[in-house]
Parts: sequence; C-alpha cells; structure tokens
Amino acid sequence: MGGEGWLFLFAVIMAAVLLFTMVFFVSLDTGGAKPDPATRRVADGQIIMFSDLECDYINPIDLCNKLNQFVLPEMIAHAFLTLLFLLSGQWLAFLLNAPLVGYNVNKIMGKNHMYDATEIFRTLSGHKKESFIKLGFFLVSFFYYLYRMILALISAESD
Amino acid sequence: MNVQPVMLPQGWEARWDAAAGATIYVDQATGHSQWEVPTRPSFPSNNPSVSPPAPTGPAAAAVAHHGKRRQYPTAQMAEVYGGPAQQQAQQPAYGAPGFQQPQQAGYPGQEQPAQPQLFTPGMEQQQPAFQQPAYPQQGGVDQVTGQFQNLNVGAQGYGGGAQQQPGYGQQAYAEPKQLHPVNTVNLIGMQPDVRGLDAAPPQALLPSNASVTNSAFIYPDPSYQRCTLASMPTTQSLLNKSKLPLALVMAPYRSYRESDGDEPVPVVSDSVIARCRRCRVYINPFVTFTEGGNRWKCCMCGLSNEVPQLFDWDSRENKPADRWARKELNHSVVEFIAPTEYMVRPPQPPVYCFVIDVSQAAIQNGMVATAARAILESLDNIPNEDKRTKVAFIAVSTSLHFFSLPAGANAESSMLVVSDLADVFLPKPVDLLVNLTESRPAIENLLGKLSDMFQNTHTVGNALGSALQAAHELIGKIGGKIIALSASLPTIGTGALKARDDPKLLGTSKESSLLQAASSFYKTFAIECSKSQVSVDMFLFSSQYTDVATLSCLPRYTSGQTYLYPGFNASRSEEAIKFATEFGKVLATPVGLEAVIRVRASRGIRMSAFHGNFFIRSTDLLALPVLPLDQNYVIELQLEEDLKQPFVVLQTAVLHTTCYGERRIRVITQALPTTDSIAQLYASADQVAITSFLTNKAVEKCMSGSSLDDARNLVTNRLSDMLQVYKNQVAGSAGASAQLAIPANLSLLPLLACGLVKHVGLREGATIPPDLRAYAQDLLTTLPCQSLVPYIHARFYSLHNMPAEAGTIGEHGVILPPALNLTSERLERHGLFLIEDGQNIFLWVGQEAVPRLVQDVFDLPSYAELTGGKFTMPVLDNPFNQRVNAIIAKTRELRRGVYRPYLYVVKSDAEPALRSWALSLLIEDRMDHMSSYAQYLTRVKNKINGGS
Repeated sequence: MGGEGWLFLFAVIMAAVLLFTMVFFVSLDTGGAKPDPATRRVADGQIIMFSDLECDYINPIDLCNKLNQFVLPEMIAHAFLTLLFLLSGQWLAFLLNAPLVGYNVNKIMGKNHMYDATEIFRTLSGHKKESFIKLGFFLVSFFYYLYRMILALISAESD
Repeated sequence: MNVQPVMLPQGWEARWDAAAGATIYVDQATGHSQWEVPTRPSFPSNNPSVSPPAPTGPAAAAVAHHGKRRQYPTAQMAEVYGGPAQQQAQQPAYGAPGFQQPQQAGYPGQEQPAQPQLFTPGMEQQQPAFQQPAYPQQGGVDQVTGQFQNLNVGAQGYGGGAQQQPGYGQQAYAEPKQLHPVNTVNLIGMQPDVRGLDAAPPQALLPSNASVTNSAFIYPDPSYQRCTLASMPTTQSLLNKSKLPLALVMAPYRSYRESDGDEPVPVVSDSVIARCRRCRVYINPFVTFTEGGNRWKCCMCGLSNEVPQLFDWDSRENKPADRWARKELNHSVVEFIAPTEYMVRPPQPPVYCFVIDVSQAAIQNGMVATAARAILESLDNIPNEDKRTKVAFIAVSTSLHFFSLPAGANAESSMLVVSDLADVFLPKPVDLLVNLTESRPAIENLLGKLSDMFQNTHTVGNALGSALQAAHELIGKIGGKIIALSASLPTIGTGALKARDDPKLLGTSKESSLLQAASSFYKTFAIECSKSQVSVDMFLFSSQYTDVATLSCLPRYTSGQTYLYPGFNASRSEEAIKFATEFGKVLATPVGLEAVIRVRASRGIRMSAFHGNFFIRSTDLLALPVLPLDQNYVIELQLEEDLKQPFVVLQTAVLHTTCYGERRIRVITQALPTTDSIAQLYASADQVAITSFLTNKAVEKCMSGSSLDDARNLVTNRLSDMLQVYKNQVAGSAGASAQLAIPANLSLLPLLACGLVKHVGLREGATIPPDLRAYAQDLLTTLPCQSLVPYIHARFYSLHNMPAEAGTIGEHGVILPPALNLTSERLERHGLFLIEDGQNIFLWVGQEAVPRLVQDVFDLPSYAELTGGKFTMPVLDNPFNQRVNAIIAKTRELRRGVYRPYLYVVKSDAEPALRSWALSLLIEDRMDHMSSYAQYLTRVKNKINGGS
C-alpha cells in the first residue's frame, strides 16, 4: 500500500471521527412535541446535546461547557487533515476542504467559535443548521476518501 | 379641554366627558352615544351589523364592580343584548313579570348588568331555579343540559348564593361571537391624537362561558401582562400572513401603588394548590369542573384532574368553604403561598453586598460620600422584617478592602486589605458578611467614615472584576444582591477593560460593535452568579467612557439593572439628590429572591424567544436570582398546531421567595379568544405591546452584531409589512393609494415607531456617546410599558396657558394639562413648556417670556438672568409657581420605577447642546437628517405602494 493509500485510510478514519463529533453535537430533530424521556433515550442512543437542550435534559451552562471542549480539537483535526492533503498534493481533496477551514479560521478570528450559554437559545437554530451541514459534508467526504482509498489500494495491487 | 375631531363620519359628534375622562361620540340623529370612534355615517335606524361593538358579559359585569368605571350609555346597552325588538318578543315567553323580581331579590346588585343575558333561548328549563331560593337542592337537575349539568351537580351542597354563576355560562351557545370593531383610519395628513397613548388595549372578547365563576377579575390588568394581539390566530400560517407579531409583554412583579388604583394581589394562603398533573398549570378561572365537581378539566391540555381534598375546606375556621369564592377561580392574578415542595432549600435571607469604588475619581466626584450617606439613611428601609438581612461591604481601588463588622453595641469596624487580584480570597472567614441588625453599630461606624478613610487617596485604577469575584465568593453560598458602584472603567485585575470608544466608529456601520460586550468575563461571571442566585446591580458614574455595554451584561443576565449617572458630581445638589433618591429606592425595594418564571400556554402554543434581564435556564424557564420590581419581559409566541378551541389560556407563574422568607407563586392567567380572520387580528392588536416587541427586537438586533441601521430598518419594515397586509387584506384597496390605512387601535403605532427609530438608543448620528446609547438600550428593554411609552414618545405640556384646573388637586390627584403633539410648532416665543420622558424633564422657556412669568416661576427678575441646565425649582408663594411645582412633582411620581428625572431649564436661545437635546424629543419634527413624522409616513407609504 502506497502513501496515497495510507493518507486516505487516515482521512477515512478522521472523517468518521469528525462525523461522530457532529452527531454528538446535532441530533435528529424530534419535531416539536416533547417525547417521553425514556423512549427517546433508547431511540437516539448517543445522539444528544442540542435537542437535549430543547427537551430540557441538559441546562445551557453544562451544554456549552461540554461542547466547547470539542470545538477547537474538531477544528484542529480538520485543519490538520487539510494540511496533509496540501502537502501530499491531493488538490481535489484539498480544495474540497479549504472553504471549511477558511470558515473556521474566520470564526476564531471573530472570537465567536465558542458556544455562549447566554445566547444559546437565541442562536440554537443557527447552530443546528450549521452542524447539520457539517454532518452532511463529513459524510460526503467520508465516502469520497473511502473511494479514493480503494482506488489507491487497487492501483497498488495492480502494480 | 379641547377635543380633536378624529375624522368623524357624517352625523357624529365628539364630546369630552369629564366624568369618565374620555371622549364620547354622540350620534346627533338618534342621540345614541358610544365610546368607540364611529365608522359609519349616522342613520336614524342603525343596521345591527353596523352597531357598535358589544361589550362582553364579563366586561359588563366589570362595570358593576367598579362603580367608578365607565357606564355604558343606555342606548348601547339595549343593543348589546339583542335590541329592544328582540327583547319584547322574548319576554312574554318567559312570563317576564314574575321573573325579574325574585331574581333581584335573591341576588341583589352585583349581577344586574348580566341579567339581560338571561333572555336567550335554552334558558327556560332553568327558569324555575331562579325563582326558588332552594336552588342547590333542586330535583330538576336532570332537565338541564350538558355542561350546565356538570357544573350544577358540582355545585351541590356547597351552599351560598354563587351557584347561579355557572349557569350564566350556558347562554353563550346562543350568543353570536363577539367581534372587535374594524375601524380604518387614514394617517396621511392627520395629526396623531397623542391622548390615545394612555388608552387601554383592546379587551379580549371571551365567550361569556369562558370562566367558571363569571368573575369581573378574569382579565389581568395590562400592567401585569398584555398580548400584542387580543385574539389569537388559529394557525401559524394565518399569523405569518398577517405579519403581526405575537408576543406577551409582561411585568409580573410590578409594584403595587395605591395611588394608581392598584388592587392588591389576592393571596391564597391555605397552600392548597391544584395543578394539572400533565401540563402543571395552576387552577384558574378558565377550567371546568366535571363529575359532580370532583374533577376538573385542565383548560390547556384537557386532562381531567382530581380536585384536592381540602379545596372546599376552610382550614382556618375548620368548616366547608364555598368553592366559587376561592380566589384562584375568581382572579386572573393571584399569589399562592407555596408549601415546602416548592423550596430547594429553606428560604434564604435577603443579602446585600456593596462593592464601592474608592479610587481617586470616585472620591473626587463625591460618589463615595453620597453613596455612604444614602446607605446609612436607607438602613431602616432595607427589607429586614424578620431581622435576617445580611450585608457586606467591599471597597475597591487597585486592591480590595474588606471590612470586618463584628456584632455588638460598641463594635468598631476594621479594614482588611487584599492586594492579590489574580486569585481572590477572603481575608477572614467571619464578620465580613454580617447581620444587619446585630452589627448595626459597626455598619453605621463604617459608613460614617468610609469617605474620609480614602480622602487622600491618589490611586488610579479600579479592580472591579476582582472585587465582584470576591463579593460572589462572600455571598455565593446564600445568594443575594451585589450592588456595584463604580466611577471609573475597570482597568486592572480580572475583567479589565480598555477605553475602546473610537470616535471614528460613531455613525458608521461598525458602531454597533461598541454596543457589544468587549470581554467575555462579564458574561461567564454572570452565569456563575445566576447559578448561585446572585444578582448584580451596576451604578456607573464616570465622566469618561465606562463601557456600559460590557458592564451591563452582568445585570442583564442576573436580572439586575444598570444605572448610569454620566459626569456625576455630588457638589451639584440635583445630581446628588437624584442618585441618593434612586439608590434609596433600589435598597428599599421589596425584592423577591431565587425566582423562576415559566409561561405555560394551551397546547399548540410555544414560547419561541425571550427578551429581558434574566438567564434562560432551559427552553421555557427564566432564572432570576433576585426578582426586581417593574421590569419588563417580552416573550414571543409561535403556533405549532392549529388551535381549534374557542379560546386559549396563557399562564405566567413566578415562583419566588419574598424578602420576609415566604415562598410564593404569583400566577397570572390570561385567556384570549381565537379567530381565523385577519381583520379581527388587526382590530384586536395592541399598539403599545407591539411597540414594546419592536423595541426589544431592534435592540436585540443591535446586540447581535447588526448595524444600527439594520435595527432601525427592522422597525420600519415590520411596520410597513403590517400596514401593507392591512391595506390589501382588510381595507381591501390594492394598488397605489394616496392614503395610509390603519386600524384605529393601531393609529399611534407609526408615531411610536417613528419615535423609536429617532430614540437615543437607535438614532442615526455620529454624536451620541456609546455609553449613552448602551444605557438607553438597557432602559428600552427593561422599562415596563407604562414608562416605555413616554420614554419613546415624550409628554409635552404647555404651562403658560394651561387650563385653570391644571396643577390643582383633582379627583385623581394633581391634574395635568392636556398633552400636546410633539412638534416645535407648538412652541411659542413667549411661552413656558414642559417636556418629559420619564428620565428627564425639560422646562422650556421662550426667549420672549415676560418678566412676570420668569419672576413667578423662577424668582428671577428677567429672562436674561436665567441660566439653563439642571435646576431645582424654588417654592414661591404664588399660585402659578405652586401649580408648576405640583405638575413637576406629579410628573416625577407618575410612573412606576425608581427613576427620579432631572429637571433642566432650557432657554430657547442659549446652550445649543441642551436646546437640541430637548428638541430631539419633539419627534414629529425633522431634525438633522432624521425625517419628520410626516416624512416617515411618506416613506412607509411609498414602501407599501412600491411593494404591492
């Protein structure tokens, strides 16, 4: 297996990790009515946080403290992956990721990357939308990396 | 008093009714009179569909209860209840002659206005019941129908004369739905009638069977809670289509002022609290009793609950009580005394921790001395009924000064200095937070010498953040109130701030960045405070930039309040008096502690956003460590499901600990009828509540980073959207039009919106310091409606030619002159005028004022001798001076809240800054590049015409 194969294997794992962070952030919108806590716990498993907040299972202070631990690591992991693509000359993969890196950097520069417990209810819908979009993005990139990894493996085999 | 003709149709005449204090409209052809502005020309025979709006049964009952309130003209009375023809047709069927007599004898007085309601089909079966006093024991219960049966059976055996009341509910089935009158008025070219600003909002027209007791008190006073719409749309799409905002505007813990005719809040003291098992709503006048009165059906979720065993038991006298006399079934605003289940811990004592800035700036402008004296004078007024109140003092400059205040008669205070600002600790475990009564000598000793102790200080710098942390450390275990007094920008220690007021930013789109918090410390610290039930009040005095925008975050999220005294100097007695008065009132406020507010609503309604000074602890729970008096909250509502019921119920519950250690729940229940007509939504809209909503939305927009321009546009766009929908959907005139149609009940909304975009908090311009803007925005979001309206649209009186009775004592205290429109056209060169917005009073003296006037009012020989600026009115021995003084005194105490406005004398030809400040309150005028009211209307009109 060549360098490209290893790179995309790593990318697949990273995408999977990021995917799970997002799943942790977001949740399936329960659609208004408060469901019974017991059934919801079982149904969603680990998918929690934002919708837990909507359903009163967690208070905004704890939520923000928990989420803020993951904000920077997530951004750094993603930036690191993008950097690897740049260094290894994977232009398409790099261009795919560059906009998100730019967006994250912009957020950090504007100092609004952290979740603010006093504002969380006002901005909740925005946060949710953002997390959903990121979730979709990581899902797409996960399959793209997988595809590229298999391609790399096949080309390594055929050599 | 002059009466402005407000575009009356032909044949109508407006008369001022001095007794009722309102304009009455008289149909000259028929002699018929009404309160509402007539819409149709007068015809000798009124078509029933055009007939004036019918007051509801309960509203009519309210008339009986409040003898002083309006009395409906008899002609209208007859129409309300079906008209004379109908009555005559029905009366014989009931054998009328014998009917009314026993009824009146049995239930004298109070129910009389409701009597005509009995003339409705479907009442025959109950008729015998009214003729016999032994009603509860009647065997004929099975004759009566559906709901009445339930209620009646439920009422059996409770004795008393109130059982008839449920019966009144019956007739609503025959009664047509009450509607708000839809009166369209045109705005263009009309002078707004400013007296309408004080008018009551449209009444919710509930079906008359809505409440179980038919009490007159089922409508909460608008000062407690009002809704932007007095009728609830049935679907969200209808609401979206109408473009009207749907929000609750409330001040649940408003002050109780007998002078305003406030009714004390009825207290349910037997701690029998009936609540719905599912939605946790408190029992209220809008529930229904079923199964012989053993169960009650929740008015929000429909669940059937058991009635608590002691519900009909008088525990004080140990005998059965009359259920229908229970306060929670008769009043929309009640207070329950909560049992121990409602307590997380035993009720805590009120705690006050004073953090006083003693840096050079604070000593020099006399803040410390004034504050110490004010506290000393207020020691007796601080809530301390059960002698549990605790106080602590921290003085702060570049280091923290704690004061040990041992108990005892001859104890002296001693000072402990901590200069480690990074890691705050308490120098002593005891005697820092002390009982007010026990340590009173030491406290008085400290306050007496506090200012002198730091007299020769030259330290510049203020470690306010660290001092606040120390205060939190000190009182955090109990909770309570931190009162911070600061005369300079916090520059060292935790939470240090920079002077960031770059004048180049003012007037640009970046200006709003100065209105956002510069440091996150004040937000995160606020969260900690909220967690440990600590509230912070900020008193800011600096003559330089103090970053109100950042510091006010702390009061905002901990339910406190910010007070700003720009350029304070205690050597000017007006400033010292203002601060001492307001500070004293804040200290004397009977605060509620450890409060939470939750609003519950009928199924399908969701609270979507919250505005006000509190921390949102979960989706619908507002945490207020200390519940202040007279603060306003706005809660936006959304409809998640279609509403099918005839009316919905919104209930606000405020759980708090009183300062004398009682856990109480104040419950405000408001019922609103539903409607599927846009015309009805518009006819029931409340312009003051909508203004309060728009104010909060605009300020929120600023604080979330949008420019001030966006905030102003938000107000104008929301207004023009509403007017456009009204024009197309209700007034029914598509296409461009030279007129601007608006429902009569919203006719002042454009004026208020115009005032709002020209208000200091949102105004265009590069000259307003960011501190003043931030403070104005704080006030805009916290003032209750009663003070918010004058803050946006000032009151303007002409004093030199006021009517003879103005300034004298009338039936309701001092009589004020008639309010004028806010335009400088009214200013005369020889006149004396008063402009006030609740925060400042301007006494405008025209340059040609006759010496006699100046002599009488100011005790000065001529206009030239008069100097503008802050002023204390002399009390002279002449009637005119006394009347002016009486009007100023009345203006000062007119509204709820602690504010004592400054009195400024403004000369019409001197002090340009002061003069233009006073003129900027005249919002109907053009000023600099801000449009006049007429231009504003034209802009809105063009927007509507362009958009349709």
